[in-house]
Amino acid sequence: MFKKGILVGLLTILSIIIMFGFTAGNHLVYADEPDYTISTDATYPPFDFQDKNNQYVGIDQDILKEIAKREHFTYTLKLMSFTSAAQLVANEQADGIIAGMAITEERKAVYDHSTPYYKTGVAWIVKKGSKIKSLKDLKGKTVALKTGTAASEYGKSLQTKYGFNVKYFNDTDTMYNDVAVGNSAATFEDMPVIQYAIKNGVKLKVMNADHPGNAGWYGFFVKKGENQALLSAFNRGFAAIKKDGTYDKIVAKYLGANQSTFTGAKKDNFSIWGILKANKSAFLKGLWQTITLTFLGIILASIWGVVLGVMGVSQNKFVRGVSTMIIYIFRGLPLMVLAFFIYIGLPGVIGAKIPAFTAGVLTLVLNEGAYTGAFVRGGFEAVEAGQMEAARSLGLPYRTAMRRVIMPQGLKIMVPSFINQFIITLKDTSILSAIGLLELTQTGSLIVARNSQGFRVWAIVAIMYLIIITLLTWFSNWAQKKLQ
Amino acid sequence: MSEAQVKVHVDKVNKSYGENHVLRDISLDIAENEVVVMIGPSGSGKSTFLRMLNQLETPDNGTIIVDGYDISDKNTDINKVRENIGMVFQNFNLFNNYTVLENIMLAPVELKKLDKVAAEKKARELLETVGLSDKADMPVSSLSGGQKQRIAIARALAMTPDIMLFDEPTSALDPEMVGDVLDVMKNLAESGMTMIIVTHEMGFAKQVADRVVFFESGKIQESGTPDQVFDAPKNERLQEFLSKVTHA
Ligand SMILES: Nc1ncnc2c1ncn2[C@@H]1O[C@H](COP(=O)(O)OP(=O)(O)O)[C@@H](O)[C@H]1O
Ligand SMILES: [Mg+2]
Repeated sequence: MFKKGILVGLLTILSIIIMFGFTAGNHLVYADEPDYTISTDATYPPFDFQDKNNQYVGIDQDILKEIAKREHFTYTLKLMSFTSAAQLVANEQADGIIAGMAITEERKAVYDHSTPYYKTGVAWIVKKGSKIKSLKDLKGKTVALKTGTAASEYGKSLQTKYGFNVKYFNDTDTMYNDVAVGNSAATFEDMPVIQYAIKNGVKLKVMNADHPGNAGWYGFFVKKGENQALLSAFNRGFAAIKKDGTYDKIVAKYLGANQSTFTGAKKDNFSIWGILKANKSAFLKGLWQTITLTFLGIILASIWGVVLGVMGVSQNKFVRGVSTMIIYIFRGLPLMVLAFFIYIGLPGVIGAKIPAFTAGVLTLVLNEGAYTGAFVRGGFEAVEAGQMEAARSLGLPYRTAMRRVIMPQGLKIMVPSFINQFIITLKDTSILSAIGLLELTQTGSLIVARNSQGFRVWAIVAIMYLIIITLLTWFSNWAQKKLQ
Repeated sequence: MSEAQVKVHVDKVNKSYGENHVLRDISLDIAENEVVVMIGPSGSGKSTFLRMLNQLETPDNGTIIVDGYDISDKNTDINKVRENIGMVFQNFNLFNNYTVLENIMLAPVELKKLDKVAAEKKARELLETVGLSDKADMPVSSLSGGQKQRIAIARALAMTPDIMLFDEPTSALDPEMVGDVLDVMKNLAESGMTMIIVTHEMGFAKQVADRVVFFESGKIQESGTPDQVFDAPKNERLQEFLSKVTHA
């Protein structure tokens, strides 16, 4: 009875979230216009980035917008790390990708690409004022590369020849910073990207401006053999904007811009207060997303954890085994792996898209629920054996004894563990930025990518987390007092 | 004794924990209204035997019939049988998450023996019988050991059992508390309850027991009236045990 009630409740709430998740990502779709899902790199200026008004802009974005308008299609943008964005297309979670993605032989095996739309090459870059003069000086030093990019492939190809070590990063800004502070001696990056960054105040220097390595082209990609209509639309649209000069205007707009055009005035970026004010709505949205994820995560993971814990002390050996197994698996999986598995891996198997928010909540529920299940079971087991014996000796069936005697005492023992788990859940939501959820951490990444004010932005984000954690702890202590 | 009178029938019961053969071919019949006291050194199997009567432990083989139910039979609804067997533990085992009154009312209400109003009325009567009416709304943690044990007896009686099992009910008590608990048990014995009591209180055993059973090494070595067992013990180990207990 008890377990059934909980399960029904859990399913109801889950279906609400799933619906919420599905609708949250939607926008108006006209019947005669196809709607596509396009993935992109969240932090890749000047191609893809968020401007001072928190609008998603860049050369890629303007091209895409212009082509969509002319070719009459609409699209939903998925902002992620580059590798995740590319995987989304390969797994048919997204229809196409525009992310400063170079056309390479390897990619041709998996994707079909558009007319090349931007000529690029790889720059090698050192810290401003660095003593390194040529690639030979990198021997024994560390080189920072961004996972999965063509620039990093190029860098990697030079590794044996020049004898440097490689350190990988997931986003551009952290990688630049590693070189700027001197942790890594050099990095490889696409020429226009680094030139734009330097123009915007990043303290790095390009060593081969006139001789880009591995010169090549950026393209728009779809999965091989799929979405050919989208690909043709892109090519047609691109030819048109190229012809009438729109394309050149877009490129000039970004490469000719000075810092304040997109990143805002100095006063908005050189004080914590200024950054906070200039990005108020972005921070609030991120904060709200974090709070929603945490709230749903806490409630559903607690319910699921209690179900697992109850199963774990069942009289039935099989039920106990199932609980142990589930706890073992989901406690063992790193949260990020689980998130990628659910968001990127699973849809290919079940043949349906899973909205990022739903995938995020599901990840939290499975992971935090497993931890909760383990301490719930432990709490029940910690109740003195005599309590159960006394209850059974009166003729109470096992379930009644559990429900009326063991569980209330066990749950009391678990209160501190629950509070602890709530705080962990809050912190773990930040990992979900990996699947493109615009929560607090991802919001911070986007702002840093634009203004390069790592210290100030992360200080703001850290303080916000601390405030939520403090509120959560107060609330938990208050609830604990009420319970006693 | 005639069949109708037999409340508990135990026949050739064995129980081992791994290599440890704890009960060896135990057979014992207990009649309605009889008060049986079990004595014996620690580790001799008294608790195991008692806990087998309401299936907190299961025998390896042999037959146990309580109240006409064969509880060694898997098809017997053990919960139904337990409703008629009250058990009092050495460590009280009161439910820590309830008040005194709730402890007593829980089983009758959950098992739908009584509605809430009737259960509360009965609980208050029982509290009066054990002399603790003023503690009704207290949390159990606030009680002394002697009080806890009297509440535990009241809790068992709330199910109106016709057999009561006591496993060293006074062993965990401060000496000055023992008397109150024994008094409650004496009254219960006088009211005609069938009782099986494991205890080291020899004086009490002499007073209330119809029969005393001596356990040693998992066997019933001797049994008889208190006069026979205490004043004219035949078994050598019983003699040894009694001399130790009385000179302690
Ligand atoms: N659950 C158990 N597991 C293993 N051995 C046990 C268990 N319960 C009791 N025993 C052993 O059985 C023997 C008899 O124990 P018990 O019935 O408690 O004796 P008594 O109540 O006469 O002191 C002891 O040797 C004890 O260690
Ligand atoms: Mg014992």
